[in-house]
Amino acid sequence: MFLGRVIGQVWATQQNPDLDGKRLLVIEPLDDSRDPSAPKVSPVVAADPIGAGIGEEVIVAFGKAARVACGGDGDYAFEAAVVGIVDDFDVPGAPASWRSGGGDA
Amino acid sequence: MHICTVIGNVWATQKEGTLTGLRLLVVRPFTTAATQSAETMIAVDTVSAGIGERVLVVHGRAARTAIGKGNDVCFQTAIVGIVDSMELEGGRVVGQTAASDRADASGRGAK
Repeated sequence: MFLGRVIGQVWATQQNPDLDGKRLLVIEPLDDSRDPSAPKVSPVVAADPIGAGIGEEVIVAFGKAARVACGGDGDYAFEAAVVGIVDDFDVPGAPASWRSGGGDA
Repeated sequence: MHICTVIGNVWATQKEGTLTGLRLLVVRPFTTAATQSAETMIAVDTVSAGIGERVLVVHGRAARTAIGKGNDVCFQTAIVGIVDSMELEGGRVVGQTAASDRADASGRGAK
């Protein structure tokens, strides 16, 4: 489970039927690197049952928690889902990039 | 679930019995930075992906569900989709292969 920012959306035609009709968001985990030249972590693709938008900070769950969030049992062929849209957070010393996603605000 | 690029095939004759008949691909995680990830993974292909294509990769039980041979397959990574396109912040469009990427969405109306 992690805090991330929605940076995009992804579409696939040729996919497992479990993904059909799912809104798939590209989410970059908010990392704690103060060094801008540090390698970035790979973004995660998560199903979005609650309607998050690009630029928003979200809470992402993995595993069964994600499948439950999408109304399924244990047998979905995906394992990440958005389970919350962050209103606000207070992490003393967090890098400025954590806020940059507010972007349009 | 991660976005990866297929970079190769891998074959093994001597392997755990539950892996028989599975197509194994070598994939590299996608990053938004200009530099490529040095990390690679092996994933079971369930959607007939080809080299150079960007794919959706799942882990754990989701991968075993996608493989479709029950929960006792000793593998934990699978390709479940081939990316058509991704639209990222700033209008950057990422296509199915690196060759189809665009810096912004301005070319969209041209098609």
